[in-house]
Amino acid sequence: MTQNQRTAEKAQVAKAAAAAAPRRLTFWEQYRRKPQGVAGLLIVALYIAVAVFAPVVSKYDPMEDMYLADNIAVPIWLTKVNPRYRELPPTMQFNLGFDSWEVTAADGVEVTGWEFEDAEGISIDLPATEAPEPVEGEDGADTPPDSEDSGELFSIVSNVQWDPFGLVTSGQGTSRDEADEAVSLDFSFDYDYKKPQTFSASMGYHIDAPSDASTFIELDLVTPSGKAFDLWDTTAYGSVSNGSFIVDARDFDLKMRLGISFFDEPADVVFSERGTYTVRVKARSDSVSGPVNVRIEPVSFGVLGLAHGLLGTDHMGSDLWAQLVYGTRIALAIGLSAAFIAVFIGTSVGLIAGYLGGIVDEVLMGVVDVLLSIPTMPVLIVLGALFGKSVMNVVILLALFSWMGIARIVRSQTLSLKERTFVEAAKAAGGSSNYIMVSHILPNTMPLIFANLVLRIPSAILTEASLSFLGLGDPRVPTWGRMLQNARQFGAFTKMAWWWMLPPGIALTGLAVAFVFIGNSVNEILNPRYRERS
Amino acid sequence: MGFRSYLLKRLFYAVVVLFVILTFNYVLFRIMPGDPEKMILDPNFTPEAKMELRRQYGLDDPPLTQYLNYMKSLLTFDLGMSFSTRRLVWSELRERLPNTIVLFMVTFVGTAALGISLGVSSAANRGKFSEQLVMGAGLFAHAVPSFFIQLLLLLLFGYYWPILPIHGTISAPPPDGAWAQFLDRAWHLILPAGSNIVIGFGSWALYTRNTMLEALGQDYIVTARAKGLPRREILYHHSLRSVLPPIVTLIFMSLPGAVSGAVITESIFSWHGVGRYLLDATLQMDYPAAQGAFYLIALAVIISNLLADIAYGLVDPRIRVGAGAKR
Repeated sequence: MTQNQRTAEKAQVAKAAAAAAPRRLTFWEQYRRKPQGVAGLLIVALYIAVAVFAPVVSKYDPMEDMYLADNIAVPIWLTKVNPRYRELPPTMQFNLGFDSWEVTAADGVEVTGWEFEDAEGISIDLPATEAPEPVEGEDGADTPPDSEDSGELFSIVSNVQWDPFGLVTSGQGTSRDEADEAVSLDFSFDYDYKKPQTFSASMGYHIDAPSDASTFIELDLVTPSGKAFDLWDTTAYGSVSNGSFIVDARDFDLKMRLGISFFDEPADVVFSERGTYTVRVKARSDSVSGPVNVRIEPVSFGVLGLAHGLLGTDHMGSDLWAQLVYGTRIALAIGLSAAFIAVFIGTSVGLIAGYLGGIVDEVLMGVVDVLLSIPTMPVLIVLGALFGKSVMNVVILLALFSWMGIARIVRSQTLSLKERTFVEAAKAAGGSSNYIMVSHILPNTMPLIFANLVLRIPSAILTEASLSFLGLGDPRVPTWGRMLQNARQFGAFTKMAWWWMLPPGIALTGLAVAFVFIGNSVNEILNPRYRERS
Repeated sequence: MGFRSYLLKRLFYAVVVLFVILTFNYVLFRIMPGDPEKMILDPNFTPEAKMELRRQYGLDDPPLTQYLNYMKSLLTFDLGMSFSTRRLVWSELRERLPNTIVLFMVTFVGTAALGISLGVSSAANRGKFSEQLVMGAGLFAHAVPSFFIQLLLLLLFGYYWPILPIHGTISAPPPDGAWAQFLDRAWHLILPAGSNIVIGFGSWALYTRNTMLEALGQDYIVTARAKGLPRREILYHHSLRSVLPPIVTLIFMSLPGAVSGAVITESIFSWHGVGRYLLDATLQMDYPAAQGAFYLIALAVIISNLLADIAYGLVDPRIRVGAGAKR
């Protein structure tokens, strides 16, 4: 028989044997049959998708976008479901450009649009008044003109005067004689909710006028029943460039000017009715020597909502859904990187200790024993406070205190592997220790290492969450642990804001369960010996 | 290796660990941000007064002397004075220690009793409800963040259905009479200890079940069954006996983890204990206090690890009689 024939025969026998024995399933074929493993993989895939497409899933930034609504706003959908939260207002923010206004102008007044950043501003051309008339338009309750003298220096005078008894008020309920306004801009919106806690308005304006002209601008909020609240007004002398104002219902100033008692809130008083509210800007001028041009930038008017988005807001009015979504990124990043580093250290130590044995083994395993008996959480707390609160530090600390278990497992596996014949053969062939460890022993411990890597991830994620929860996380990143800490610290309990606490906790649990599922399935396939353990 | 040499070796390990922790503690709080001098000294002091104070506090000594002094003072529980309260750290700790121990013991006994009994019963009744419960609880313990469960219980029983006290160890004006005080303390203990038990029993039960199943598969069990021994006897006299050593080890091995949990539990339920003291002190940069609390916790863990080793040696006949003592 020639050499050729013999090999051919051998190949045939081998083929027959292979055909007779059931084909060994590949890893993936076995994995597919584990419902837990598949479920875990799908869940992790979902988390990864959310992490990658976070900007698509959430339209707000978790940290930058603040005051999207009032603090601890309720999720919008809850207002439809739970009668306790029914009819809470959502955030209403209007940016009122030229197109938004309904213009009522006296004869000779021309109102046109003018280019301003995103929305069109309003330009009002007021004609010159004919004759020197007595000073116009200062209603009795307003500050008398002579008290404004000191303000002339600055051209703009705020005529706020507090009426401590709230008896005579400038704006409340007094309907002015509309006829003397040269121009009036109206914007109406429907408000059919419970009272908000706060509202705000702001506006920028410019006036081109002869120096002896006086121009009056006013911003009113008119309730459905016709009460006009004078939120702000000014009388300007001459030209003004870049004038602006902000009105906020939380300011004490506004309370004074609306004549509201100490214990009432402007928002309560103003939004006590339901129906169509009107934001009204009025302007007139008294100018003998020439026409006046008033340009008003788009007016922003907003009611901070008590209901917001999918999950409401936190104590800073930041979007909780955004924090939840972006938290996925941090959780995955921290879990994966801490687990990788820990597994790397553990594998190296285990390999070296197991293969070299002797004094090296004694020392390394001694270190492992010592580290294992140090209580991790107190050490992490102290070290976390010492090395500063950053994601990087947390990852390193987590890795440094979690590699010991893997080192033990890899060591015991190495101990049994190094007695095998293939290692003996490699040694006999003159392979160096490094070569044998990396090329012969390491590949055979891979299944164990892989399963442990996957099982390491959830504990890293949970430990990081605990640290964040204790206030030792990175304050600049939105993590689920921090969401829970904020919830505890800033009043989620007293408001019973379960929508603030449940989602991050469930997200954490889901991710951890998914990784445990995957790790257990991988273990069952690759390391059947270890099935009953861990 | 006989029991005695085994014991000596473990004792040696404990001393090494203690030494490592003390040194770690020393180095750590020396490199912490902030100069100890600035904490004690008023900037208005004269240079002479500063020098004198430095000398009194031993800050001028060479590092080695400082280190030895430090070691000596720790061994005598002279832990210094807290920056924030200006009280002796040791007296503050001593005040909190009983609370922590009580919470810990109740948690521990509850978790172990529930976990081990459930584990045994699930191993005895495979495929029944108790096994599913144990498997579920084991996964739960592994994957649910403990503080989340505690927050939920707090929300549920403290706010939605306010029937349990949510913080503290005792009511603000303590009730009169020892008995009433005892009841009040127990009442405050329900939520922290109960939540710890709920979180912790799963992993115990799972571990007990797995070791029991392994033991039930052994040949001598088959023999016992073939002899016609009653099932209960096999379960409690043959297999439970043989799984005791690993369970005893687990009991003590779980102590460091329990300490970690204690920090979180105590801070959530405002428990007047050592763990919360450590956290608060660390966050407030009150170094002597943090150092003292850390020392105490580490000491407790080391002692319990040593106890674990001794107990393991006592229950495992292979070590007790000095046969193959391979761990």
